[in-house]
Amino acid sequence: MDPDKDNGQGNFWRQFGKYSHLAFVLPGAVVVGLLIGGALDRWLHTTWITLAGLLLGAVAGFYELIRTIIQASKET
Amino acid sequence: MAKELWFTEVLNNAVGPAVTSVMGAVGLHPKHAASPINDAVAMEILVVLLLLAFFIAVRATLSVDKPSGFQHIVEMGESFVGEQAKGVIGHHYERYIPYAMAVGFFILLSNLLGLVPGFESPTANPSVPLGCAVLTFFYYHYHGIRHHQAHYYKQFVGPVAALSWLILPIELVSHVARVLSLTVRLFANMFAGDLVTMAFFSLVPVVVPVIFLGLHLGVALVQTFIFVMLTLVYLGLAVSEDH
Repeated sequence: MDPDKDNGQGNFWRQFGKYSHLAFVLPGAVVVGLLIGGALDRWLHTTWITLAGLLLGAVAGFYELIRTIIQASKET
Repeated sequence: MAKELWFTEVLNNAVGPAVTSVMGAVGLHPKHAASPINDAVAMEILVVLLLLAFFIAVRATLSVDKPSGFQHIVEMGESFVGEQAKGVIGHHYERYIPYAMAVGFFILLSNLLGLVPGFESPTANPSVPLGCAVLTFFYYHYHGIRHHQAHYYKQFVGPVAALSWLILPIELVSHVARVLSLTVRLFANMFAGDLVTMAFFSLVPVVVPVIFLGLHLGVALVQTFIFVMLTLVYLGLAVSEDH
């Protein structure tokens, strides 16, 4: 990134774009984990992978959330 | 069968039987054999045709001394996307601008089509945003692999080898969640925009819908920007040197 040519307005739009996905990525990861777990349960005739997938999805959502915040704090 | 848009009807009359036979040849059977093209696909075709016409017009009138209005629009878009890409990706950002511009123009025109009476936004159908999101997903992974070669896998296992068994499924879910996030945001916003405009148009057909059309215009622009921005962010992460 070239800070000399970067302006405040451009930075605002970038931050806006980056943070706008946080609201969707947390529930999105939970849904993806649930769907993958459900599909594996149907395939393997088990019952516990849906719950494990749900938990994995929640963890993945928080992981993405924390990663984004750490990156943003490095940039500022 | 629900009433289709006039453009869909024209397409189905012109190429419907041919499409049905081609689909049949590859083992696919449309729900309505007489009209295999639905409104979303027809609107996508229209968007592609409009973009082709637009870029042919830009190419035909390309000039350094006296740039046309079309050329100004494209240069403005390129400059804006280029500035964002430079900030997010850093060095060698130029390589990714064509894709970001193409997906941006496609989504913008698709979103704006809903403002024209007799047409609807193809992005208000979940399959269209999903297609764009899946394409973006493969595009940034392709560039991640191209950039890092075999070392790309390191982005999925984290810096601590002992924890890689835990990080790998988390990373995989978070990457698939990006597709879902891109899809749901674009689809939900455009669908809700269309629905709100239609609801108020049926309640008060004068003046009030204009406010919601203005809102729809704003949402169309913002959602296009967010999709392009996130594409650049994911590309930046895929080709970054930090693991």
